[in-house]
Amino acid sequence: MSSQLEHKVDVELPAAPVTVAQRPVVRWVMLAVGLVVTLALPWFVYPPVAMDIAAWALFAISVDLLLGYTGLLSFGHAAFWGTSAYTTGLIASNLGLPFPVAILGGAIVAMLLAVPIGYLSVKRTGIYFAMVTLAFAQMVYFIANQWRSVTGGENGLQGIPKNLGPLTDTINADSFYFYYAALPIILLGVFIAWRTVNSPFGRVLVAIRDNPARARALGYDVERYKIMAFVLSAGLAGLAGGVFSISHGFASLQELIWTTSGKVVLITVLGGIGTLWGAVVGAALVVTLEDQLASSGFNGIGIVTGAIFVVIVLAFRHGIWGTARNGLNAWLRKRRHARDV
Amino acid sequence: MQRTKTRQTMAFMATAVTGSLVLAACGGAGGPSSGGGKISDDKVVIGLLNDQSGVYKDLSGPNSKVAIQMAIDDYKAKYGDKAVAKDIEIVSADHQNKPDVANTKAQEMYDRDKADIILDVPTSSAALAVATQAKAKKKLFIDIGAGTTALTGKSCNKYTFHWAYDTYMLASGAGAALVEGGGKNWSIVYPDYAFGQDMTKSFSAAVERAGGTVQQKIATPFPNENFSTFITKAGSSKPDVIGIMAAGGDLVNFVKQYNQAGMADQAKLAVGLMFITDIHSLGVDQFKGTTFTDAWYWNFDAQNKAWADKFKAKTNTRPSFAHAGNYSAAFNYLEAIQASGTDNSDAVVKQLEGKKINDMFLRNGEVRAADHNVIHDVYQVKVKSKDQVKEDWDYEEVVKTIPASDAYGPASPDCKM
Repeated sequence: MSSQLEHKVDVELPAAPVTVAQRPVVRWVMLAVGLVVTLALPWFVYPPVAMDIAAWALFAISVDLLLGYTGLLSFGHAAFWGTSAYTTGLIASNLGLPFPVAILGGAIVAMLLAVPIGYLSVKRTGIYFAMVTLAFAQMVYFIANQWRSVTGGENGLQGIPKNLGPLTDTINADSFYFYYAALPIILLGVFIAWRTVNSPFGRVLVAIRDNPARARALGYDVERYKIMAFVLSAGLAGLAGGVFSISHGFASLQELIWTTSGKVVLITVLGGIGTLWGAVVGAALVVTLEDQLASSGFNGIGIVTGAIFVVIVLAFRHGIWGTARNGLNAWLRKRRHARDV
Repeated sequence: MQRTKTRQTMAFMATAVTGSLVLAACGGAGGPSSGGGKISDDKVVIGLLNDQSGVYKDLSGPNSKVAIQMAIDDYKAKYGDKAVAKDIEIVSADHQNKPDVANTKAQEMYDRDKADIILDVPTSSAALAVATQAKAKKKLFIDIGAGTTALTGKSCNKYTFHWAYDTYMLASGAGAALVEGGGKNWSIVYPDYAFGQDMTKSFSAAVERAGGTVQQKIATPFPNENFSTFITKAGSSKPDVIGIMAAGGDLVNFVKQYNQAGMADQAKLAVGLMFITDIHSLGVDQFKGTTFTDAWYWNFDAQNKAWADKFKAKTNTRPSFAHAGNYSAAFNYLEAIQASGTDNSDAVVKQLEGKKINDMFLRNGEVRAADHNVIHDVYQVKVKSKDQVKEDWDYEEVVKTIPASDAYGPASPDCKM
């Protein structure tokens, strides 16, 4: 792909104002703050919950990669999260390998699964794409439910060990240490996502999202790009699912059920699509909220998350992060304007 | 100009980073938890983890907290100043029937709330997750709401007890007892997932042990709305008994359609797992004549009724066996603390193991040491017809008491503590 073409794609994008996030300094500050918050998280939040936030954040980022950057709403991402959760669990339980290896294995299997599913799904767009992915996810769910000798059926895989060579005892002694042991895997996933959206490949995805016909006219094999994005996204979801199953020490059908696909889409939309950061904010909000509500004695967890979702979608269409960023941009523009005058 | 801007940004960045670091330092208490082996003896914390918002809310849910509080009150009243546990607290959480939530919440209860024991936990996958946590944290877990025999089989451990019922016991009551009453030929309709399959296996074994035959085992999708074809098929072999292994909403659908098809006149209906709250929600008429196994019934005798009256005064409803089971588990746990003089888990487990108990809930009860299954007399019951119901919630007629040794299977060879 020639640089000329890339440039062309850039020009064809809707004229986006120079956003805060695109200014390099601000970008580094955000990155630094994000990293510090991530590292400090288990000091404020109960460590297993912090781990959940990290895993769901990466899961939501994987969905954002498709939804926000490629324009594909996958309603079956639980298939990859869950498949990896089970695979990771099976590898860790049966082979006794260190957990990062197990998680990597889980992510690879998730990607392999994504190849045929992606190949068949990307032939459709919009609601049909969502429905096809949902159908495949349901198939995976039923296979896991019936294949009891391997998956444990309803009971799931229980007692998945956390192995990490000489550090095994340390990470098992306290979930606080496990958080730091597993965090690099999450960060690796986030880095891959970040690198992807800021690469020529990512630009092509955005071009496909905005105008697939024109991207095709420019000589890009749209379907192939979509499949690649789909497989990559499945791999990230797989990393997240693997971390989740090791963290909890089990994998269950809950990981594969369609409401899990729904929850991750909710997190992504809540945070703001096409931002990556939004996925993190959304995950932090939803996971914390669910955790707090579960102990609050309040009986309607679904009502609260649902109501927040409705309010955000109706009032802040760009999600929490998107709205905040746009607000900041507008303010900066106004200030600059005032100064220029 | 450019330089000042950069400097400003640098300053901002520095502030942000130091700010976060300061915050991080302040939160130092939230860091690695210290040891964890020490249990504060001046406070006993009982964790209640169950479904407080979903399908199992009524059969256990928030009212189990009331039941546990009753156990605490009774314990305090019994021992007064001599009570070893003076300060007893209940913490509760909603696991929404999700194993991952149950897992995190259990961990949190043991670590943060310093819970010495977790009670209830319906839904098998959630219960097994909590059992794994109990083993890891060396803290007690008494399951009441879940039915899986894995808790006292393959997944058993030193700190986990199973108090009220399991799938084996459900089958021995409704299954074997019905065969002995003349219901030799069975058709079983079951939802095709783990619970349904387990129940079908248990029921078939129980029926065959008692000398009956299972002519048909019919799998249905799960969840399912329309059972009419399955009902027709089940009736085609002219069985004496039709066993339905579905639970919750599916059970309700099945029973409605079963009655509409006029099957009630042709074959007896046996239900795998049913709570009195199911009968209450659908109406006694829909279930009339249905046989099932109950672990406990509030109107069985004066002792049960007296407790149920106290429960009603607090909750304005009648207790299910899960409520009574929670009471019994909490009370006997406190008794074990009293007897051993400490809330140390190992000491309490030692007290409980092999203990023979007769209380409001357990009759001829025994905490089996080999697998930590708490066995007790259970009841084969029949749902009354509307005109037999004398007061609210008076839905069940106890046909027969099944002695503990018949109701529960032998300790599983899979269980290695």
